[in-house]
Amino acid sequence: MAEEEDDPGFDEDLDDGGNGVDSGQGKRKRLFSKELRCMMYGFGDDQNPYTESVDILEDLVIEFITEMTHRAMSIGRQGRVQVEDIVFLIRKDPRKFARVKDLLTMNEELKKARKAFDEANYGS
Amino acid sequence: MDLIMRCPRLITQGLMEMIRRVTHSEQRRTRRDRLMHISRIFRFLHFVMADPARVKPVVGVSEAPAERPTQSEGSRDAPGSSGKVSEPAAVQSTTREQGKARSAEEAAAAGEEEDGSSSLHPPPAKKLKVEHDKKKEKRHKVDEDEIQKMQVLVSSFSEEQLNRYEMYRRAAFPKAAIKRLIQSITGSSVSQNVVIAMSGIAKVFAGEIVEEALDVCEKWGDTPPLQPKHMREAVRRLKSREQVPNTKHKKILFH
Repeated sequence: MAEEEDDPGFDEDLDDGGNGVDSGQGKRKRLFSKELRCMMYGFGDDQNPYTESVDILEDLVIEFITEMTHRAMSIGRQGRVQVEDIVFLIRKDPRKFARVKDLLTMNEELKKARKAFDEANYGS
Repeated sequence: MDLIMRCPRLITQGLMEMIRRVTHSEQRRTRRDRLMHISRIFRFLHFVMADPARVKPVVGVSEAPAERPTQSEGSRDAPGSSGKVSEPAAVQSTTREQGKARSAEEAAAAGEEEDGSSSLHPPPAKKLKVEHDKKKEKRHKVDEDEIQKMQVLVSSFSEEQLNRYEMYRRAAFPKAAIKRLIQSITGSSVSQNVVIAMSGIAKVFAGEIVEEALDVCEKWGDTPPLQPKHMREAVRRLKSREQVPNTKHKKILFH
């Protein structure tokens, strides 16, 4: 089936001994199981999503992050991942772009507020 | 700090008092109280950093902004306290805090830019600045409207919807794991902003897949707990829309 060729990671969990190439991904400990369950519930799934679905989603997310990291390493400053590279890669996708802008702006504001807080505390 | 230095004395005293109140009784305060306090401080800042083009330059500079926060606090705390569960109310105040912080940042940027030159009134530059102010005002109002609409919406949620909304806002990937993952790929260390950006994008990505999978599930006439076949079909659809990045298969032009 086409899906198996595209995403060998899916069937890794079903097989007992993984193949040589992708066995790392199949046997790796589940990094995001708890968080992904909460996330799937928040996005509209059932309160107890299936474990297999959570596994598939985790594999997809890890593949996404890996892909992004590799691309970011190849543009801008080679071998390093910087925020500007990520923003550049995301520019075509409106949702992700807006989200990154919001997060970074919020982070700056929180840092400023914390700094003002600390200085006020120190002053008084 | 220079922002606070430029404020009139009355506002500075009010702000310092608020900050002092939070810091001195920190042990006894619950997390929700601290969030409410922080959101109040942000709201205060938002009105303090009001657009000088809007505020009357004559007498009421120090009094008008100081009065408005107390009024708006009274009107806005009512919907906040009517929330039944304490956690979603914290979520609400976080929403307000985020929204206010965002508009506070814009207002602060506008305030800082206009501060030096509003007293000089150079005519050609002033015209451009007034247009810029109007655009910032419109963005302000759009933000305000959106925040109010969100408040109205969230206050009318049922219990189950509140739970789901809370999960939606709170669920996040652990920064440590993401950082470890990225560092294992790059081999060198990455800054904190990169981790923040990457975990945010990953969450949006997961959301896109789940939403598409729910569409598929509904279309096939199945019921919610999503099954792997829905997820795979969702990925296939997103791939055809190029929303799932994939550089494993190089497309050959003119094959």
